[in-house]
Order: sequence, then structure tokens, then C-alpha cells
Amino acid sequence: MVEILHDHDYIETLSNNLTQPDSLCSWDEFKLGYNALHYRSVPEFNGVLSTKHLPHVDFLDHQIQACEKVIHEMNGRAILADEVGLGKTLEAGLILKEYMIRGMAKKVLILTPASLVNQWVQELNEKFYIQAATPRKKMAAWSDWDITVTSIDMAKRENHKDEILSISYDMIIIDEAHKLKNHQTKNYQFVKQLKKTYCLLLTATPIQNNLSDLFNLVSILKPGYLGDLATFKKKYRKTSLDHTESHQHIHSLLSKLMIRNRRKDTGLDSSKRHVTNIRLTFTDEEMEMYEKLAALKSNSPSFTWLTLAKELCSTREACFMSLQSMQNKQESESPLLADFIECLGTLPHHIKAKRVVEIMENSDEKFIIFTEYRASQFYLQWYLQQHGITSVPFNGKFKKSKRDWMKQLFRTKAQVMVATEAGSEGINLQFCNNMINYDLPWNPMRLEQRIGRIHRFGQDKDVHIYNFAIENTIEDQILNLLYEKIEMFKNAVGDLDHILENIPGGNFDNQIQSIMSQSESQGEMNIKLNNLVSYVEHTVNERRELS
Amino acid sequence: MTPSTYFQFAKDFFSTHRCSITETSDRSMEVQLTNDMDEALMNRPFYWHYMKKMNRVGEAMKLTFTDGLMEEDNGIHLHAGTPKLHQMYQLAIDRSYSTRLYEHLSALTVNQPLHPWLVLNIKIIYRGKQTRDEILSIGLNLINGALLSGMMDKIWKIDFRSTVSDFSFPMTPVVRVESGYQRILNYVKDQLASLNDEWAIESIKQLESEKDLLHHFYTSDDVDEDYYEKELDQLQVRYKPRVSIHIANGGLFYLSQQTSQSLFRET
Repeated sequence: MVEILHDHDYIETLSNNLTQPDSLCSWDEFKLGYNALHYRSVPEFNGVLSTKHLPHVDFLDHQIQACEKVIHEMNGRAILADEVGLGKTLEAGLILKEYMIRGMAKKVLILTPASLVNQWVQELNEKFYIQAATPRKKMAAWSDWDITVTSIDMAKRENHKDEILSISYDMIIIDEAHKLKNHQTKNYQFVKQLKKTYCLLLTATPIQNNLSDLFNLVSILKPGYLGDLATFKKKYRKTSLDHTESHQHIHSLLSKLMIRNRRKDTGLDSSKRHVTNIRLTFTDEEMEMYEKLAALKSNSPSFTWLTLAKELCSTREACFMSLQSMQNKQESESPLLADFIECLGTLPHHIKAKRVVEIMENSDEKFIIFTEYRASQFYLQWYLQQHGITSVPFNGKFKKSKRDWMKQLFRTKAQVMVATEAGSEGINLQFCNNMINYDLPWNPMRLEQRIGRIHRFGQDKDVHIYNFAIENTIEDQILNLLYEKIEMFKNAVGDLDHILENIPGGNFDNQIQSIMSQSESQGEMNIKLNNLVSYVEHTVNERRELS
Repeated sequence: MTPSTYFQFAKDFFSTHRCSITETSDRSMEVQLTNDMDEALMNRPFYWHYMKKMNRVGEAMKLTFTDGLMEEDNGIHLHAGTPKLHQMYQLAIDRSYSTRLYEHLSALTVNQPLHPWLVLNIKIIYRGKQTRDEILSIGLNLINGALLSGMMDKIWKIDFRSTVSDFSFPMTPVVRVESGYQRILNYVKDQLASLNDEWAIESIKQLESEKDLLHHFYTSDDVDEDYYEKELDQLQVRYKPRVSIHIANGGLFYLSQQTSQSLFRET
């Protein structure tokens, strides 16, 4: 019943090698080979091995379950349709890795939109230790590359198409597969012709609302699973979509080849997020200083003013550091800068720092404070200490061991962690549920990453976020325009991230920088920022309607 | 397997390949590669090509390994998935493809014959709807035809050398190596036939049901014949149960008669 294959060459090679002592190995080498054989072995049909191979990635339960289900129940052909932000790419990578470990996938083709190709290559490398190649202008070795990432448009070009179609792929992954819903398009025809053993279709758009789209996607995975098109249409077209009975039938059919996790099912939504925007007013002296800085606008690059103004909104110290280094670069001491420095020295403690202490004194919970400036970080730590509040510093440049130590101190001893921007990735602090954004980054996504440190899987309390901004300053504008208008806190994050990265003419960060530095007047700046925000708003809405 | 298993493997690997190891703690070590190991592991063929062209010696790299528990910043963490470790596995398997070894017998005064054994380490891959594998180690005495499974475990602690000890001499096999190989294969196949084959039945069931679906679809004229054939092939790859017997490494082992007999006693 079961076919048995075996390699016939071994004995011949062995006999040959026995006559050539050079090709024989030592006892130690032989034992080593035997051990290696065991360590690489896959002794069980069931289970997921890939997570053990990737201890540096925190996979969520639903992702591991998806992997297990796709491999052991769906036999490697599935639609991954998780809601945005739940990590479809991670699921796909995990499944791919599992098949590779089990020796079932060697030749793999990944088709994604062109803009995501590099991201895929990078993620596969960093998160999954999978080296993927991608065709460049004249460099394409489809037959030689084991793992290839490319766009459909590239793959279906005349000079590549035939070669790709001649290869038997062990696995094909198609990202943004909802674009393949129309079976008359060239893309669809192309994908259908690919030779594949296993196949994953990734889509964030729930497809069960359009039955013929659905039919087409399923046909790529399991031709015949939903019957033939004519019968399928006859059966379901007449019944409206609300017709629960037929809907349910489709759903139960689908559940055998589709994974769809929702935020609410994964527990990621169990803790709520409360955001408070706190607007503070500069004291008169501070405001005077702030206005004085405007003098810089006329005779130096406007970027200089921008930097200093933002720094002054953070702390005197941050602003001082910049002024000092500017002064040092001057050939002869600039009287204007000297005046600024002197004036800074007369300012009282920063209004924001005072507010931080007020908040702390009314609470015995743990807080993480984010600032963009090292000087502000030092100042805050000192100021907190003056008020008897213990704090630990954190920044992304710390070595792993130091990071862990700081995290440990924060967990067990200190009430506050003061982190710089660089610390906003790569540390998870679910045990803390309060955050103060002492100053605000240009890019709302960076704020989202900050919040992600505490508002993530495993957080069981509600999360409180306090955003500080000073009235009638540039910070006020950031808060107004960037944060309140883009309702980032309620939106699907993965989506927004993508949109902000892909604004025509540069990503969001760059856009803001150039608006700030190129605008000649306040009015111009406001108009430009408004335009940018409405573009983002428009794209977000468009996306939302699509799904 | 614990992290230290991988750490130990790396240690054995590098000491076997004559790299000098400095242990900085019991959880981390620094390895000075030999040129041979550098070429095999470090993926820099151009460097070595250049050095050879220029008639220069070339400088092998140093690597730091940790057992992954310590979370140091620098160094390669050794865990189940470390890419470097997998490179080492592959190299270890490739380089142990065949061998001939003699039991070391010290201070012999009379001539002592050594029995030849054919030892094969075999990877069996079961592939159907799902997949798994199994490692077998089988030894066959080429004088009297006795066969032992779990061979590597049984001879693990014996001191084998590449040369014959004084006063001992290898006997000429009565069973030819080729027929010995056949006997071992036949033994394995017999074993396979007696195994639980539920996995294969499941796979065939699945294969048949998906074939039916596909056939039904085909007869409804939605697809052309080409496509039908292609899908059919893919179904075979995906579900058809098969077992492959793959010899990973092996060779001739010469053991004294006493040692040969003691192998049976332990079982």
C-alpha cells in the first residue's frame, strides 16, 4: 500500500570510499554526524516545531494555533484572513518555517504587492532566519533561488513567466490576495497556472460577503470544493446575503480552509485605552523665551527654530544643549545665542515637570514617561528624585543585559521609568499601565509604538495615556492637527502604519519635516498640515469602506 | 533538549574540527576557527578565493557562542533554530558520510582477530498528509550475519581509531559488504511493514476524497485538461503516502570478538 523509496547510491559510494582512506572520517566526526542527525530529526507527525526554532519572536497564541491548524488540519492550503494587526504575515512565516523544518518545502514563491517585497525579505530574514531572494533589474534566477519574493507584476512579465510556470513550487504565498478575486484578470490566470503543493492566501478584507469573489479564491486552493461556478451561482445568487441558512452553510464550508481571527476573540481588546490630552500653559517668563526664539526664524534655517522651539517645550535643559552646541560651532560668539542661554538660565522649573510630579503624587501606580531628548530624560530623573520619586532610565542603546536589568528594577523597585524615543521598541512592560508622553513625536505611529509597550497582549488593566502639550506653541499644533484629527486611537493600527509609510512623495515623517522647514508663515504651515491630514483621513476612510 | 545540549554539540563540533576554544564562562565560549572551518561556515568564498590567488594564508575568524540563557548582546545564541547550528549539523552529516574504524586494544601480547561490522545510520521519512522521520542505527556482523538495532548507542563508549592496534588484525568479511547492505535494507523494510499504518490510511482517504472533488469539478467543464492533470499531480505530492529510506552515514567497524559478543549481552 505504501510506496517505499530508497537511495541506491550509498553502498557504491561506501565501497569506493573504503578504498580511499582520505574520504573516511574519524570516530569523533562520525559520532558528531549521528548526533546532528538526531537533533535535526522530526519525530512526530503533529505539533509545531517552528516556535522552538524562533525563541526570539513572541508569537501570540492565535498565531501558533493558526499554524497548527493550517498544517495539520487544512493540509497546507488555506486563506489567512485575520483582522488587520493580528499578524497574518507572522502566521504565514511560521507556517512556512514549519514546512521547511519538516523538509516539506524547499522551493517557495512569495507574491506580494511591490511595495511590500523588501519588508517581506527583511522579516523572513530577521524573524524567521529564512534567506529570501528577490529579482533585481537584470538579475533573476528563478530556478536557482529556493525562496523568492516578488510582485505578481514582475513574475508575470514575458521574460520571467515561462520559467516560473515551469517550476514546481512546494509552497506559494500570496499577500493581499483579495486583489485576485476576479477570475478574468491576467493576474488570476497566472496564479492559477502556478505549480504548487501548498498555498497560503493572505487577505485582510473579509471576502465572505461577495460570493463569486470567494468562489474564485477558493478555486485556487481547492478546485471543486464549492462545486462548479454555474451551480454555485444558481444555488447562492438568488438567496440574498442575509439569508442566514445559506450563509451559514458557506461559513461552515469555509471554516475548513479559512482562518479568521478577530481582535475581540484574541483578547487583544480586553484592556481599554484611555487617552487624556493635557494642555499646559507656559509661565510668562517661559512664553517670553519661546517668543524670543522666533528671532531665529529670519536669519537661520527655519529648521533651527523648529528644533529649539520643540526642545523648549520639553525642558530648558534640552534647549540649552542645542544652543550650547550651536554656540560652539560659531566662529565668534554670537550675542543672540549668548542672550538665549542667559535667559534660559533664569527660567523656573519646567511647567511640564511640575505637572508630572503632581500626577505622581496622586498615584502610587507605576508610570512610564517618554521623552524625545536625553537632556530631558536626565533632568526629569533628577527632578523626580528631588521629590522623592524613584526612577530608572531606559534607552534603546542599552545592551540587552542592561535593558533587562532596568526593566527588572522598574518592575520591582522604581515607580517610574523615563525612556527616550529609542526605547520605544523592543521592550514589553505589561506590568505598567500608565504612560506620560512628555513630548510628542511628529509621527503618530511612533506614539502608537510607545503605547504598544504597555498596551499589548497580556495587559489586563485599562491603560491610561497622558499626552502633554503646551498651549499656543508648536506642540499644540502637533496635538491638534496630527493627533486629534487622525483618530489614531480608535483606528486599525496596521492599516494606518501602512498609509503613513506610503504617502506619495515620502513617508509621513519626511512630509512633516519638510512642511515645518519650508513654510514661510504660520498660516502656510497650517494649510499644508491640514492637507496632509486630510489625505491620510481620506485614505483611511477609503480603506475602511473597502473592508 | 535543553539549550546546553546545543552548546555541548557546538563544543564537540569545534574541538573535533581542531578549533581552539576558550570558555569565558560555563555558558559562553570563544572559538578560533581554523581556515577549513572558516571556509565551511562563514560564507565568504570571495575572501578565500582572493587569499589563495594572492598566495596568502588568510585569517580565520573568531566566533563567540552563548547558550542563549544568558542573553548577552554579542555572540551567537545557540538554540534549536540557530542558523549557524544548522550549518554545523549539515557539515557534520556531510563529513561523516563513510568511515572505517578499529577498536583500540591496548597492551595485546597475542594476536587478536577483529570482526567486521557494517554499521548504517538510516533516516526513515514518512510522508503523506503529514510527515515525520525516524533515525535507525543498525549493525550487521559480516562474519556470522548477526544483526543489531540501536547500534550507535551500543558502541558509543568504545574507543575506535582509524588505524589497527598492534597485535590485532581485521578479519576478511564472510558476508560481502554489498550483501550486508541488502540484508540491512530488507530488515528495515520488514520492520516498516509491521508498523502501524494508520497515517497512511488517513492520507489515502484524504487523497481519494480530494480526487473526487477535483474530478467532479473537471467534468463540469470549468477547467481544461491541462489544469486537471496538474492539480492531480499536486494532490499526489500532497497526500500520497510514501516512505523513503535514506542512509545518512555508515561504515565498517572492526570489533574484537569479546566486544562483539558483549553488544548482545547488554540488550
